[in-house]
Amino acid sequence: MPSNTASSSSAAAAGSADSSSSRTKSKRPKYSKFTQQELPACKPILTPGWVILTFLVISVIFIPLGVVSLFASQDVVEIVDRYDNVCIPPPDRANKVAFIQGGADKSCTRTLVVPKRMKQPIYVYYQLENFYQNHRRYVKSRSDSQLRSVKDENQIDACKPEDDVNGRPIVPCGLIAWSLFNDTYALSKNNQTLNVNKRGIAWKSDREHKFGKNVFPKNFQTGNLTGGGRLDANKSLSEQEDLIVWMRTAALPTFRKLYGKIESDLEKGDTITVILKNNYNTYSFDGKKKLVLSTTSWLGGKNDFLGIAYLTVGGICFFLALVFTIMYLVKPRRLGDPTYLSWNRVPGGGR
Amino acid sequence: MKRFVYINDDEASKELSCDNRISNTKYTLWNFLPKNLWEQFSRFMNQYFLLIACLQLWSLITPVNPASTWGPLIFIFAVSASKEAWDDYHRFLSDKKANEKEVWIVKQGIKKHIQAQEIQVGNIVWLRENDEVPCDLVLLGTSDPQGVCYVETAALDGETDLKTRVIPSACVGIDLELLHRMKGVLECPVPDKDIRRFDANMRLFPPFIDNDVCSLTIKNTLLQSCYLRNTEWACGVSVYTGNQTKLGMSRGIAEPKLTAMDAMIDKLTGAIFVFQIVVVMVLGVAGNVWKDTEARKQWYVQYPEKAPWYELLVIPLRFELLCSIMIPISIKVSLDLVKGLYAKFIEWDVEMVDQETGTASYAANTAISEDLGQVEYILTDKTGTLTDNKMIFRRCCIGGTFYGNENGDALKDAHLLSAITSGSTDVIRFLTVMAICNTVIPVRGKAGDIVYKAQSQDEEALVIAAARLHMVFVGKNANFLEIRLNGSTIRYEVLEILEFTSDRKRMSVVVKDCQDGKIILLSKGADESILPYACAGQQTRTITEAVEHYAQLGLRTLCLAWRELEEDEYLEWSVKFKEASSVLVDREWRIAEVCQKLEHDLYILGVTAIEDRLQDGVPETIEILRKAGINFWMLTGDKQNTAIQIALSCNFISPEPKGQLLLIDGKTEEDVSRSLERVLLTMRTTTSEPKDVAFVIDGWALEIAVKHYRKDFVELAILSRTAICCRVTPSQKAQLVEILKSCDYRTLAIGDGGNDVRMIQQADIGVGISGREGLQAARAADYSIGRFRFLKRLILVHGRYSYNRTAFLSQYSFYKSLLICFIQIFFSFISGVSGTSLFNSVSLMAYNVFYTSVPVLVSVIDKDLSEASVMQHPQILFYCQAGRLLNPSTFAGWFGRSLFHAIVVFVITIHAYANEKSEMEELGMVALSGCIWLQAFVVAQETNSFTVLQHLSIWGNLVGFYVINFLFSAIPSSGMYTIMFRLCSQPCYWITMFLIVGAGMGPIFALKYYRYTYRPSKINILQQAERTGGPILTLGNIETQPRTTLEEEVSPLSIITQPKNRSPVYEPLLSDSPNATRRSFGPTGTPLEFFQSQSRLSSSSSGYSRNCKDN
Repeated sequence: MPSNTASSSSAAAAGSADSSSSRTKSKRPKYSKFTQQELPACKPILTPGWVILTFLVISVIFIPLGVVSLFASQDVVEIVDRYDNVCIPPPDRANKVAFIQGGADKSCTRTLVVPKRMKQPIYVYYQLENFYQNHRRYVKSRSDSQLRSVKDENQIDACKPEDDVNGRPIVPCGLIAWSLFNDTYALSKNNQTLNVNKRGIAWKSDREHKFGKNVFPKNFQTGNLTGGGRLDANKSLSEQEDLIVWMRTAALPTFRKLYGKIESDLEKGDTITVILKNNYNTYSFDGKKKLVLSTTSWLGGKNDFLGIAYLTVGGICFFLALVFTIMYLVKPRRLGDPTYLSWNRVPGGGR
Repeated sequence: MKRFVYINDDEASKELSCDNRISNTKYTLWNFLPKNLWEQFSRFMNQYFLLIACLQLWSLITPVNPASTWGPLIFIFAVSASKEAWDDYHRFLSDKKANEKEVWIVKQGIKKHIQAQEIQVGNIVWLRENDEVPCDLVLLGTSDPQGVCYVETAALDGETDLKTRVIPSACVGIDLELLHRMKGVLECPVPDKDIRRFDANMRLFPPFIDNDVCSLTIKNTLLQSCYLRNTEWACGVSVYTGNQTKLGMSRGIAEPKLTAMDAMIDKLTGAIFVFQIVVVMVLGVAGNVWKDTEARKQWYVQYPEKAPWYELLVIPLRFELLCSIMIPISIKVSLDLVKGLYAKFIEWDVEMVDQETGTASYAANTAISEDLGQVEYILTDKTGTLTDNKMIFRRCCIGGTFYGNENGDALKDAHLLSAITSGSTDVIRFLTVMAICNTVIPVRGKAGDIVYKAQSQDEEALVIAAARLHMVFVGKNANFLEIRLNGSTIRYEVLEILEFTSDRKRMSVVVKDCQDGKIILLSKGADESILPYACAGQQTRTITEAVEHYAQLGLRTLCLAWRELEEDEYLEWSVKFKEASSVLVDREWRIAEVCQKLEHDLYILGVTAIEDRLQDGVPETIEILRKAGINFWMLTGDKQNTAIQIALSCNFISPEPKGQLLLIDGKTEEDVSRSLERVLLTMRTTTSEPKDVAFVIDGWALEIAVKHYRKDFVELAILSRTAICCRVTPSQKAQLVEILKSCDYRTLAIGDGGNDVRMIQQADIGVGISGREGLQAARAADYSIGRFRFLKRLILVHGRYSYNRTAFLSQYSFYKSLLICFIQIFFSFISGVSGTSLFNSVSLMAYNVFYTSVPVLVSVIDKDLSEASVMQHPQILFYCQAGRLLNPSTFAGWFGRSLFHAIVVFVITIHAYANEKSEMEELGMVALSGCIWLQAFVVAQETNSFTVLQHLSIWGNLVGFYVINFLFSAIPSSGMYTIMFRLCSQPCYWITMFLIVGAGMGPIFALKYYRYTYRPSKINILQQAERTGGPILTLGNIETQPRTTLEEEVSPLSIITQPKNRSPVYEPLLSDSPNATRRSFGPTGTPLEFFQSQSRLSSSSSGYSRNCKDN
């Protein structure tokens, strides 16, 4: 027998025992409500009572809300005047695009009658239709950093194709600024000039943070293609509120943008004469132009949609509550009836 | 191919130059990054995301900032990679531990202590008792003068008994000193993984005896990871090392398992992808047409007249990017996260902790919890899985007297004890047979007690019982046995051992009583192989009755017999026996023949009854899981009778009137074919009857059936809900799993021993029982549990919840992505089909990552039904099995819902925010808020049980949305500056939100209520029952029918206990009894059986279609 076998046999035995039990997870898991998935839980059940009540409550809330919204919308007085067609002299109507691109006088006079008393402030909007400010090529074509500060003047990468003129950057660059709306309106009431306040029509945050106070227009509309309006090169961008409003791109092809505010009341029957300069070309794409005078309510402008939608949803909920009540009364079903479990039925016996 | 191993010669073995380093790691430090990335990118979804992310780098087409895709993408990759790295590191650590184990080797005649990884081929390795074998060795010497040593091979094949290994004949008698300087050459095959074969030759160099070639077999080897037992020392020459050992070769990296659910999600993703491509193509064409007809007129857009060649592609690609969110990038991360949590819930479950050992359940594979809920077939091992694998001697019948019938334990039976003290001849003989008619090796333990090492657990149980009955088998010294009875020592000399074979079904020993010189034949065996050889005139009726009686109790019976031999009879026979033993051809058969000549005229002493106790709760577990529609197959290496008995006692098969057993057997192809045909015929005709039909097949017939009649066998497998396969090898087990898998069944294999490893790895889900047969199975398994009864909780609770939760989570992920994507698509129609994104980059990125992922993650603690209800109505698992909660039609529901919600949000937003309010950022934010509100309510509506966490995450997330947006709105340089403040101060915004919620949820809520009340699914009914409290109790009473366990059921099981009744096909038991045709069955189970068994064949079968319609 070898002499050294006994020397470490006990150690070897211990080692093997150790290895055989090493993977055993003998640590008992800790008990907690979370680990055992036994957190106290509320288990709602759709009893007819609750469901019918819920629908009733919804309809009871929604119908009055709809009525209130509808009233709010009805309270708003709105004058809408489409002028794009009528402001083209009849001889030129065959070729509107040529007229608008030509150099003829584009003044046009429109007369509006106030249907109802309008309390100030009265907002003057221009409304464009079929104008895709949300087109991808268009909406991306701007440089926010350039607008914000003068030192980022050269950040014009996104602005193509209206980025520079002969290598010099355009400020403000991009298609949006380039296509600035440039119709103007001069309003008068009963032959007295009606003052339209054009200050404070843009968002305060835009004036203060998005458009720099020391950024001035440069090389604007000097390229070989002229788009829309021009800018006063001596006024900083933060003061060019028409531009700021225009640069808040609209998400829909029909949109209104604020032109100014009338800070006096208009009485019923007042005649408002608008002398407008019909400069902006919407004729090449059959876009409509409208002048809108509107008051506002707590819900905003004239918009019946919310009221009608609320009444509809409320009505449907009421109808559903009614239907469910009738169903419950006509054909009551016991909830959780074990006879509905197929494996509790006698096979072949049916039910 | 051969390899030559030179013993103790470093130079000559150098070309093999393979050290014993074991490596199971998948990566190295260097190849980790490329290999891991390669693996990750081999998944379609990842390729897709990478493509999208790359496309986004092209600023002309990207609608949003590229970071919105790159960020999440990199995050996802980092998470997956670090998980892999972590797993691999742990493998490395465990390898390192094995590699650095210290072993003794001999080099140039000197013993050295080295690390296991330094062992070279050709080294002589020394092992002591209880050492683990570090590599594959060929034995050269042992402490035993006969050159025998014992090894435990549990780690290799799962068999816990000790196996004897002998040194090659050439090495017999070599002195210890010489062993150190031994030289020679071994010619052995190239490494393979066959642990039953080793065909090699050895030639020793002079001065060692003859230079004859000595052949080696597996009997001469010590294989890696076996343990040396009961042998003081052994030494051997290493032939295979490291990953080339038999064990190393058979250890492959297991294929990653994909759940049925993942496959379904992938399929749905593919469908969405196709849908996306269609949308992109349509919009792309529309966009190009619009551009050419309309956009050219729009001077402010300044479309260039001359376009680059790729101009046509730009718009489709923009839409591709815009629609890329249709496939949610977050779904993979969310799923990984919740799957990890499912696994944790399994590990945390205190109800799945084995109280005896304190072993908690362990989920090695965290990715397949949902599959647990979809299991259709469970293939189970028997011994150690269903049973405790603790053989205990319970009762006996000696000479017609029953012992142990009163208290169920013969060891405590006073009559038996007094019979022993009084020295009743029969009893003493009976005990003698129990004590010495075996191959047990008594070993003295450390404390002086005697430990028995036995190849068979039955023998061990008998010897231990004999010792308890004062017949102590004290020691074995070569051929001399020592027995102590009541203080006196008796010595026997073993003359011959007539070994047990499965054909003979008995074993005998011939011993010589050293006191009086009498030669005695002691036999034990199965009743059918002992009783026919009883001596003429002995009444075996009581014995037969005893066997029958015990078998009905599920006990394993052995008949013991005895015969005194005349000396010359023995001598005469002994010559023949020796002759037969040395025959080369048909040795086994010749020996059997010779043995038969001695084993006759036996005097039957009695019957022993050994209990292999069922684990606690096994019958209940099987019954519940069976009710849940899961089919059980029992695959066991054990013999048929035992298997059937166990099967009966654990509700596996039903006793006579309800159940029917069909036997497939035969030794030849024709036999098997005929038998198979007949069984199939019976099966086909009985499927319409609600009857438990099971087939029984043994390993031999199985081999033939699978090889030659695979088609028939597969059909049989489909038809049969229950099967018992006995005497099957590990590879056959795996083969059966594979057959079931090939029929598209979800299989779960459960086992406890190394012989189950292959089946466990092959199955969709492998469950190991960390039991007595070591941890081999548990290690290979996806889940390891302490006891069989935890299986029902694993499947019904964890599997089911996991399935339900993932079903919700994945569909919801698609819903929310589709919702926002549809809005983008709608918006493109009013933005000149130009691919403008309504939402800004920040919102798009945060939508998937923050706004919508938190509430849904909390669905991992949602419970649709309480655990108790599920246990009471396991049938409800059918919803998971059949995939009712995640399939194309439910997905279509979610698809429709997202379309509806997108319409609601879009229409309301553009109308409420029309005209002067139609500012891009504001409108986008209103639409986004609408989506967030809706999704919060959708989650709330789909949640079944609200805990604090759910409320917190759903409503907290809504608040979080506003907080995040307020933060962004406060940054002047962000595009969203002041937007959220402006919106929140407008009443119009809130009015719009309420409208969106009301219009979006109202119809869905109404629909849900209608379904819930008037077209309820089974789940709904149980929910109602559980929550209203009342009816569930009565329901429970219906369900818990008085279960007829086998102990109570004493109907005669003719086929099992009466050998004369055996016929190739088990006809309906008692087929002439009226019960066989008109049986009454309770309300439990039967309709379910219909759709389980028949649905495979015809989906129009009543039960199945009814269940389909119900949902």
